[in-house]
Amino acid sequence: MIGELFRATLETLYMVSLSTLFSLLMGFGLAVVLIMAAPGGLRPNPGLYRALDAGVNLLRSFPFMILMIALIPVTSFIVGMAIGSTAAIVPLTIAATPFMARLVEGSFLEVNPDVVEAARSFGASDAQIVFRVLLKEALPSIVLNTAVLAIALLGYSAMAGAIGGGGLGAFAYNYGYLRFRTDLMMYAVALLIAIVQAIQTCGNILHRKLR
Amino acid sequence: MIRVRRLEKHYTPGVPVLRDIDFSIEAGEVFGIVGHSGAGKSTLLRCLNGLETYQGGSIEVMGRQVKDIDGAELKALRRDMGMIFQHFSLMSRKNVFENVAFPLQIWRWPVDRVRARVMELLELVGLTEKKDARVQDLSGGQKQRVGIARALALNPKVLLCDEATSALDPDTTLTILDLLRDINRRLGITMVVVTHQMEVVRRLCGRVLMLNQGRNVALGDVEELFLAPPRGLENFLEQEFTVIPGGTNIRLAFPRDISRQAVITTMARELGVSFSIVGGRLDRYRDDVLGFLIINVAEAELEAVLGYLEKNKLYWKVLS
Repeated sequence: MIGELFRATLETLYMVSLSTLFSLLMGFGLAVVLIMAAPGGLRPNPGLYRALDAGVNLLRSFPFMILMIALIPVTSFIVGMAIGSTAAIVPLTIAATPFMARLVEGSFLEVNPDVVEAARSFGASDAQIVFRVLLKEALPSIVLNTAVLAIALLGYSAMAGAIGGGGLGAFAYNYGYLRFRTDLMMYAVALLIAIVQAIQTCGNILHRKLR
Repeated sequence: MIRVRRLEKHYTPGVPVLRDIDFSIEAGEVFGIVGHSGAGKSTLLRCLNGLETYQGGSIEVMGRQVKDIDGAELKALRRDMGMIFQHFSLMSRKNVFENVAFPLQIWRWPVDRVRARVMELLELVGLTEKKDARVQDLSGGQKQRVGIARALALNPKVLLCDEATSALDPDTTLTILDLLRDINRRLGITMVVVTHQMEVVRRLCGRVLMLNQGRNVALGDVEELFLAPPRGLENFLEQEFTVIPGGTNIRLAFPRDISRQAVITTMARELGVSFSIVGGRLDRYRDDVLGFLIINVAEAELEAVLGYLEKNKLYWKVLS
């Protein structure tokens, strides 16, 4: 039983860490496009901005359960199977990417626009402004937002049990709810609490170091 | 160096921000752009290095039409034009050294040359000891020194100053103005100074353009503008003098060659009149001191006094 709890923990960590990584990368990319295309951005493009803005809102409106099921064909196409922890990473990433894009966009918007103007004034290119000014200045805030993302994904991953993703959420549901093993459910919940605490603490420490 | 012809700028068609602006700036000059807030002076400054676009007229900077260039050419123009800002615009996560080094890194200078150049610049602005300090730990004056060092890093030909001392206290303002004046003299760098502080104009600028609601209201030599302010600009140029009622109050201004002569006492002796001195001030200009004096003359002696002032070509004006 403890072996199964251990395996469920590893599955959760596997799903959350990989989907956090992928949605961080894709969300960052999307945020860069949003911030550049926004009115008053580096390359204003109202049409593109409105389309992406609406797309992000649309994806974020879906309940995760529904999105996960709707994405089954996409998942099979990408990872070759529709069930399991690896399969769960696809809907987790797709659900979290627009969320992360908004969080990173918010971090970028906190950067003092005067600093961007100063960089333009000595001839920095758009790419240099994004990676050496915006990213540099926003990094502490992006780190904190990544902790928010990872914790949100931990919550989503509990639902991945529905497509056989396993993990602590599924463990707690299967044993605690279906088999009345309240003790095992408590263990699973305690582990989830510990993981949330660990993610947030890491985020805070890193934020303080970077600031 | 810079030639602006019939410049027009608007954000919304029909609502001009700048209208029919004409001026030229020669190499090595310190040129002021003054006006109340909202007059369009910061916008005009940003048109010079292409941070703002314009809709009509032309701006030629170092032989290049700002409107016609983009990409690499525009970046090269900006490399040759440093800029300093009201709120310093330093990067909060870089220390003093890294902030000054940043433009050099953007232009891919090799590491050893960056180091040498940054140390040279920090010495110029007097911040060698602060090189590892965090920007947040600096005073306002020190932050602006970092801004100046950063703006000069790429050896620009022109330095654009956008309200560079407006966020500083009066003492710090003077030290920053002295530093800028010194840089202008030693490096021969052309400066365009946007400000609403008359102190800055007097201490730093040789010529000045005055803007009001996006229009040119005066353009000329600073001393001349202060000695004989064009109609409507008196209050703008100096705080109003408080005058006593009765008699006639005359404001006298003394240019450099007359400043040191005893004009007033000579007049009193030659005309045999008496008058009261009701106000006065000495102002330091770039390299000169200009004097202002208000005298109150009795009606009976007014004609003789005005005749004397006219004959001796003094700058004077009857205050109402």
